[in-house]
Amino acid sequence: MRFVLGPFTVSLGALLGLCLMAEAKRPPREFAEVAREHFEQYCFDCHDGETKKGEVDLTQLLERAGSDGALVFENLITAKMPPANKQQPKAEERQLMLQWLAQRQKAAAPQSFRRISRHELVHAANDLLGVKLDLTGEIPEDRGTHDFDSDRRVQLTKEMLTAYFTAVDDLLEFALPAKGFEPERVWVTSKLKDSHQSYNIYTRPYEEGILFSWTRANNGNSYSFFYDHFEPPVMGWYELTFDARKLGAFPEDVSLMVFAGKYYYADDRPQPQRLLEVISLGNREMKSHTIRAFLRPGENVSVHCYSKHNFRQRNGKVGAYIKQLKVRGPVHEQWPPRAYREVFAGLPLQVPPREAVSAAVAQTKLQAIGGRITVSSFQKGMEKERMQDGSNRTFWHTRFQPTLAKPPHSVVLENPQVKAIDGLSYATWSGGNGNGQVKAYAIYFSDDGQSWGKPVKAGALEIRLANEQPIIFPKPTTKRFIKFLVTDAYSIDGRSLASIGKLDVMTTLPEPDAKLRVMVDTKSEAALKQVIRRFAERAFASRLTEAELRPYYDVSLAALKEQGDFVAAARLGLKAVLGSHRFLMAPGEHANASYAKAAALSRVLWLSVPDAELLRVASDDQLTGKLLAGQIDRLLSDPKSARMIHSFCDQWLNLREFNKVTPSLKLYPFYDELLNRYLPLETEAYLNHLIQENLPVSRLIDSDFSFLNQRLAQHYGIDGVVGQRMRKVSFGPKVPRGGLLTMGSILKVTADGFDTSPIRRGAWVSQTIAGNTLSPPPENVKAIEPEHGADAATLREQIEQHKNNAACFACHKSIDPYGFALESFDATGQWRTQYRVKLPHRGTFQYRPKGYFKLAGEVDAAGEVGRAKFENVFGLKQILLSQHRKVAYNFAKKFFEYANGYAPSLKQRLDLYAMIPAGAETCRMKDLLRDVMIYSLEGKSE
Amino acid sequence: MISRNEFLKMGVALPLAMQSLGQRAAAKAKTPPRRIIFINSCLGFYEPYFFPKKRGDLGTSDYLKGMKTLEKMTVFQNLFHPGMDTSNHDSEKSFLTGTPSPEAPNFVNGISLDQVLARKMGGDTRFPFLNFSIYDRGWGCSWNDRGAAIPPMHDEAEIFDLLFKDEDLQATKRRLRNDQTILKNLQRDLAELRRKGSDRGKLESYQKVIAELETQLEHEQFWLNTKKPKVTKSLSEDAAFPFSTKIHNLFELAKLAFQTDSTRVITLSMDWIYGAIKVPGATGGWHSLSHHGGNAGKIAQLSKIEVDTLKHFNRFLVEMDQIKEGNGTLLDHTTVVMGSNFGDSSNHTCNNLPMIVAGGGYRHQAHAVLNGPTPLCNLYLELLHKHGIDAERFGSSKQDMGLLKG
Repeated sequence: MRFVLGPFTVSLGALLGLCLMAEAKRPPREFAEVAREHFEQYCFDCHDGETKKGEVDLTQLLERAGSDGALVFENLITAKMPPANKQQPKAEERQLMLQWLAQRQKAAAPQSFRRISRHELVHAANDLLGVKLDLTGEIPEDRGTHDFDSDRRVQLTKEMLTAYFTAVDDLLEFALPAKGFEPERVWVTSKLKDSHQSYNIYTRPYEEGILFSWTRANNGNSYSFFYDHFEPPVMGWYELTFDARKLGAFPEDVSLMVFAGKYYYADDRPQPQRLLEVISLGNREMKSHTIRAFLRPGENVSVHCYSKHNFRQRNGKVGAYIKQLKVRGPVHEQWPPRAYREVFAGLPLQVPPREAVSAAVAQTKLQAIGGRITVSSFQKGMEKERMQDGSNRTFWHTRFQPTLAKPPHSVVLENPQVKAIDGLSYATWSGGNGNGQVKAYAIYFSDDGQSWGKPVKAGALEIRLANEQPIIFPKPTTKRFIKFLVTDAYSIDGRSLASIGKLDVMTTLPEPDAKLRVMVDTKSEAALKQVIRRFAERAFASRLTEAELRPYYDVSLAALKEQGDFVAAARLGLKAVLGSHRFLMAPGEHANASYAKAAALSRVLWLSVPDAELLRVASDDQLTGKLLAGQIDRLLSDPKSARMIHSFCDQWLNLREFNKVTPSLKLYPFYDELLNRYLPLETEAYLNHLIQENLPVSRLIDSDFSFLNQRLAQHYGIDGVVGQRMRKVSFGPKVPRGGLLTMGSILKVTADGFDTSPIRRGAWVSQTIAGNTLSPPPENVKAIEPEHGADAATLREQIEQHKNNAACFACHKSIDPYGFALESFDATGQWRTQYRVKLPHRGTFQYRPKGYFKLAGEVDAAGEVGRAKFENVFGLKQILLSQHRKVAYNFAKKFFEYANGYAPSLKQRLDLYAMIPAGAETCRMKDLLRDVMIYSLEGKSE
Repeated sequence: MISRNEFLKMGVALPLAMQSLGQRAAAKAKTPPRRIIFINSCLGFYEPYFFPKKRGDLGTSDYLKGMKTLEKMTVFQNLFHPGMDTSNHDSEKSFLTGTPSPEAPNFVNGISLDQVLARKMGGDTRFPFLNFSIYDRGWGCSWNDRGAAIPPMHDEAEIFDLLFKDEDLQATKRRLRNDQTILKNLQRDLAELRRKGSDRGKLESYQKVIAELETQLEHEQFWLNTKKPKVTKSLSEDAAFPFSTKIHNLFELAKLAFQTDSTRVITLSMDWIYGAIKVPGATGGWHSLSHHGGNAGKIAQLSKIEVDTLKHFNRFLVEMDQIKEGNGTLLDHTTVVMGSNFGDSSNHTCNNLPMIVAGGGYRHQAHAVLNGPTPLCNLYLELLHKHGIDAERFGSSKQDMGLLKG
């Protein structure tokens, strides 16, 4: 058997460095010759054309032009190959083989640049403008199938640039609004929006406010209740203060989950709600709990309460008593807002005074335009005012006692100021027996309230729907009288009745002209140029010449000349800066190498632009060595590094997919939104701690602590954690938590919400955390998705089949064991010893705490990695801990890819591997991260 | 709408819009325009239920026999994309491009068929093309000429507003003008950097995007003078089956977009996630079920999902066929291509792709079984020819085989 050399006959020897001194003296060809001998000696026994163990024929593989040898390289460098029971190459022999592989890899050089991601754009623009407005949701995801947002293969498209431009417009309008800021208002409410009275079982009036005592509705939804009398007038930050206390003698806190979203009626289609914040209620005395939240117009604030103690308790006396909600906003941390100081530093500002005003008591639009209502008849206690009081639980009703009012039943709305009316807004009377709810109507107009002519519109209304139902006129009217005639109504006993919960006109009210406009008191071109220069130098992370700034100046100067509005003109220039290739492409254009490094550093560690200090350091072009290391540490210790932690967890550990799947309530009835919120936060807090405290890399695999709160501790079965604040919790050796593998977030994101697939989870953990390199499944394999049936053994048997087929087992020996060990955790990450098998339910799904499942089949979590056997996940962790270099090497590769936007070449991997200390306790997270960062910026240190 | 002369007085160079003005006038006088839509059901269809059991007879397909527009449909058998042997789900990327080996680490996709068509057919409508997907994952069927994914739209309400909701004209005009000024100045900066020898690749890639954006702004500016069409909001809000509702709505939006001549080229990626979805009669992971491994119970569940998808597809065809236009129906002037990147998703094979061509005014052949595996790009090439694009090849095409009659 002859091993033919590939096409790489360039002068290899010269590139090899000191460790290959002996070889370097020989002609280059001989280096390859030596490498071949090593492969022959250590690999070809099993992997030649005849034996082809695991269907791997290295003689073929290494010759083939298309094969870059990465798999061979990875198996060799992580000492997976040659197997432990075979003869091992000496360290320098292994190194030579690796270098040879690195050398022969056809280095497809990654693209020299990339677009900045939507996250980087939004964070950077926010920092530059001194605002907090998360617009990433409005920009499409463009990462495609690549793991990392920074991937250089992602090309900027026109569509993305359009989205970036739009986001920049929105950010600028938020920071420097053209028409000024909304004044700050204060709302105080203890009133809930209407809901069906049958839902009073979830909440009930209590003292001066509301007691929340039930947590889960029949369909499993977490019912939320919407506060009335507050709607955010503009998007912005609001301060929400809940005066509340806990009712109940149990030690744990009750959780108030505060949501924002579109209002929906309890019976109706749920509208998506955003969880803003969780208030942990442990106080038994009344106390104010304040949160800050970003709200948009059209959103309502709703509250949902959770405690394991008041779970679906009818007429409970435990739960959360909320006396009132006080909202203040939109709030600004400073006045004038920070954006003006950031952008117009040093320029004279005209700042109107700002003080909070109480919000006007809610009134109907009809009242606001001075309108009146008359009705055909009314029942005492159900007068016309009752459909003008903002509630559809109080209502107008036609007379039925002592005598029954005869039809026609109608309501006339008078529009004395003859405003343009677009239509009517109708809401049915909700609750009660439904008598009189309108099924069909006709609309008439009149100038005098006497002659009505033909109906301008007629139609049907939904009686079961408590939401407002709009009745849009064919065209807006300025007629003085509008008649709403009831042509059909529901009646339980056949009598002619009519009732209405709410009726109002639809019209555009003039905006209260009370915007607070901050102005810059200058029209100086020089000042405008200075504004653009300051902003551009920060955004582009470079000092700039006048010539370079000219195009950006010109955008603003032209606008100033034309419109004379300084702020508006500056805004255009800022948009040009934020739309520039110098900002949106990385690397940008930098006046020196240190600026380029500063830009890269802040982009990787903050997802943003450099701050003043970093720019100052870069200006002398001395950002290297100790100074560079020091800046890395400084950036890491800044709170902005939390963005990197979040982003890296999203990408490396795929936590961005965390919310894609909601676990089945039939199998996992206790899974809820509260848990869902905190599971990924545990991972972020943990990783952050490992980095900040510079703990050993092996803590990624195992430790005796994690970051938990009451809800997570409950999920994990750990006692004594009270309150929803995340904190470091230590536990004993019998607790399987600690380390990434056994975190609920990881276990959930690797399952589909129903079952766990040992193969899918195993493959993921093996590659992502343990650092194994696997090839994709071969073509035309009968792929099955194993299922946990009544007989757990079958699943295991199916998977064990892999052992019988060398081709399968080559990879599956590095997949299945991880999957088996983690079978002790269900799809939500809870410990289990038995599988759950779903049971059917009759009719519509009715939530119940015991779920719909039976227990079947014992979990068998045993397996073996190589020759090392383990009984369960504790054993698996021990095996992984013995391979800390592999885990660290994997972490380094992933962070390199995150930072640089491409996977390291084999040569770079050799360098990365060389950074890893041999001792497990000396191999530390922050050190490694810093080394990878420096390597990314400066290459290999000499 | 303003006159062409008035428009030119505004001093905007507008090749696209001018062409479109002329063509619009011509179009009004003559026959209805041609449109085309491509739909990729990314997990395919269970073959034994999809393909007719009796050659040539769509009545013997479990899935298709109930469809109402059978006489306006051709089911092709034996089409495939070469070079997808180990592609797994990555083959989705190549569904409309035919680029081989999408699983390769340094894969760069080619331009997708819809984008080639949009260059020719896109100038006359407000939206040169539209691309939809079910999930927000940033890529679907459409890829630009540099092989970059064009992020599809997935939010029905947003798409509806984009198509039909009036915008603040004054503000939009101002924005367009400002953006044009900004782009012009960015071009200046780019030119200067190029002169100074900065990274060429980077500058050129940005330059290209800017140029495209400028063209788009001109296009938008032209269309500002035409009011958006008004339609009744006919989207379903059924929350019981969100997946089903989404598909229904995306088809509905496609229909409305064609009917109002808002666009003439659409792609719809019916993409998937690992989690469970709910359709009438079945709840389960679409992906998990697609790996049925021959298990009868799983196939029964899977087929419920596929039947549901085809139900919406059928409804789309029927409604398109009910809208009269010229001498025929909207369907007669719209080529509907529905298929999948997978022949058999259970085994991840990309042979014998389930492909339907419907409408388009062709003489349909019910069930056309080709002699041996035939590159799908042959059909794609033919579609280019049918739409007046004189291309010699597309993707892996060998030749226009004249598969579509009439």
